[in-house]
Amino acid sequence: MTTALRDLISNPNTAELELIARYGMQPEDPRRERLFEAFAQIGLPTRRMEAWKWTDFKAALSALDRPASQSASDPLASEEALCFRFSPDGFEYPKDLPEGINLFVKPEPQALGSAEDVPLGALAAALAGSKTRPGTLMIEVTAADLPRLHFAFSGEGEASFARVTIVVRPGAELTVSESYLGGAGFLSSVFEYSLQGDAKVSRTVYQRGAEMETMAATALVQLEGESEYTQTSLAFGAKLARLETRLVHKEAGAKATMNAAYLVGKGLHADITTHVRHGARSCVTRQMTKGAVLDGGTGVFQGKFHVPRTAGQYTDADMQHKALLLEEGAVVFAKPELEIYADDVECAHGNTCGALDANQLFYMRQRGIPERTARALLTEAFIAEAVETAGDLKDILRHVASNWLAQS
Amino acid sequence: MPAYMRTMLKIENLTATVGEEDEAKTIINGLDLEVPAGEVHAIMGPNGAGKSTLSYVLTGRDGYEVTGGSATLNGEDILDMDPEERAAKGLFLSFQYPVEIPGVPVMTFVRAAMNAQRKARGEDEISAPDFIKKSRELGQKLKLDAEMLKRPLNVGFSGGEKKRLEIYQMMMLEPKFLILDETDSGLDIDALKTVSDGVNAMRSPDRGMLVITHYQRLLDHIKPDKVHVLAKGRIIATGGPELAHRLEKEGYDGVLGEVA
Repeated sequence: MTTALRDLISNPNTAELELIARYGMQPEDPRRERLFEAFAQIGLPTRRMEAWKWTDFKAALSALDRPASQSASDPLASEEALCFRFSPDGFEYPKDLPEGINLFVKPEPQALGSAEDVPLGALAAALAGSKTRPGTLMIEVTAADLPRLHFAFSGEGEASFARVTIVVRPGAELTVSESYLGGAGFLSSVFEYSLQGDAKVSRTVYQRGAEMETMAATALVQLEGESEYTQTSLAFGAKLARLETRLVHKEAGAKATMNAAYLVGKGLHADITTHVRHGARSCVTRQMTKGAVLDGGTGVFQGKFHVPRTAGQYTDADMQHKALLLEEGAVVFAKPELEIYADDVECAHGNTCGALDANQLFYMRQRGIPERTARALLTEAFIAEAVETAGDLKDILRHVASNWLAQS
Repeated sequence: MPAYMRTMLKIENLTATVGEEDEAKTIINGLDLEVPAGEVHAIMGPNGAGKSTLSYVLTGRDGYEVTGGSATLNGEDILDMDPEERAAKGLFLSFQYPVEIPGVPVMTFVRAAMNAQRKARGEDEISAPDFIKKSRELGQKLKLDAEMLKRPLNVGFSGGEKKRLEIYQMMMLEPKFLILDETDSGLDIDALKTVSDGVNAMRSPDRGMLVITHYQRLLDHIKPDKVHVLAKGRIIATGGPELAHRLEKEGYDGVLGEVA
């Protein structure tokens, strides 16, 4: 079987061969086979694929190596949160869970919808768990007023794979956070969020990585009924870091807010990719992505709204991306796309990219504020809007951003 | 020598250009000026005389290049300093058009400025209670309510409010030397009075001021010790307050024609 898979990937590189070998070590299961096949048909995505043209995993990940880097500290860790820890060696989960949260740990893989669209998500689903002990988490949420669920990805090693499925029942509410702290040479996670009825989810994603690490965090979100989904991401990049969200409005009246900020320094690459399908009438999407990039850093924003002819009627959607090139040599790629077939919709997008305002910088310096501090204050203010949606965590995100800006 | 007789700002044979290398235009052209401590000097001149350029050259804005001459503040050459260094030495420019700083509240901004200046001078930071107390007192004096000082600097403020905020910053930072660039532009009579009162309150034997203005009107409120006429990048006439009145009556052409 593994030989056949090897044939599936054209010119596999060492990393892909190692992934095939890793798959070979997992217990045989037709569902796992289908998941791995979904990955293997594509292999590690390359720049030849439109959706990956700026984030080429095959080029960046030649082999699964343990990097010299260490995990960053976790600003979102908290005593009050229920913490799930993932590392290259597997995962740990809290044993005592409050009423309203039901946890199922499943060794066998479950099918993944649209696996072909998310090759690295399919890979994560196929290899979730540790090398020797596969496992995925399924969480059912049936209440409101619950402690935050926190998923922390850290620990040094070659590779880390995780899959978490969260179903939020009608009327239930959940705050969830994911911290990707680096340490693994390659990490891929896939989170599925399914919101039913008037469920509410607030999800915050924090990503930090080093120059030798590649990571992809894929989220598949389905909104049913008049559910409300709010997502706020803060990414600092890695050799390659991609935060991808694919969201589907499945029933009329759902509302999604998806904000992100990226702050990228030398040698790092942060990719914010989103795909929103307005598959039902009168759904709302609000999206604001802001980035700031230093010399030698790369920021990527790809956003797409897909509004089908009949189903997408009365869509109300807005996508904004604004980036600051803080220094010469900073690079930002942006591709905002609206694909609209319905005729009675309100869809807008905006995309800007530029330097800090020279008037503002001079004004601040004239008052005695050194150029670097002025730049940091202006940049922090610039990205603040994008992390405003993180609820109780917004001050933490701002603080982390501010520290980074003060030091760069 | 008493402080008030000491020259604070001394400009000698200053020439400066504006613009990129190939298209650089000489705007300041052999300018001489001395302002002693304790005095207020006004610079008047027609449009395009180089008034705003002079303020930007003195404060070190990018794009303004000094091609000759010197400028010192309390004996120190300021022309090689970064703008923030000049500010820490006590040079303050009240902008003709105060710039909006989105996302940075007034008080956060002023506190950052104050502490950066203190740090540059090797002084301790101001404590939060001291800062708040000082800010509150000045806010009352300048009719700036507490809510305003929590809003992002100059964002959505009226012209008059922006100018009052310039005075607020000036009084908070207590600079040694002030340059007021067209401070009266965009002000109604009441706002002009508030702003002038603020500036007059800053007059002191160890502080100098340069008031740049088009019109004599401002000088009824801020009485200058000397008035200089700037034209074609040089000071072409100097006199007492009466010179401002003559300019108002005879126009720049009249006075300029006479000295030319």
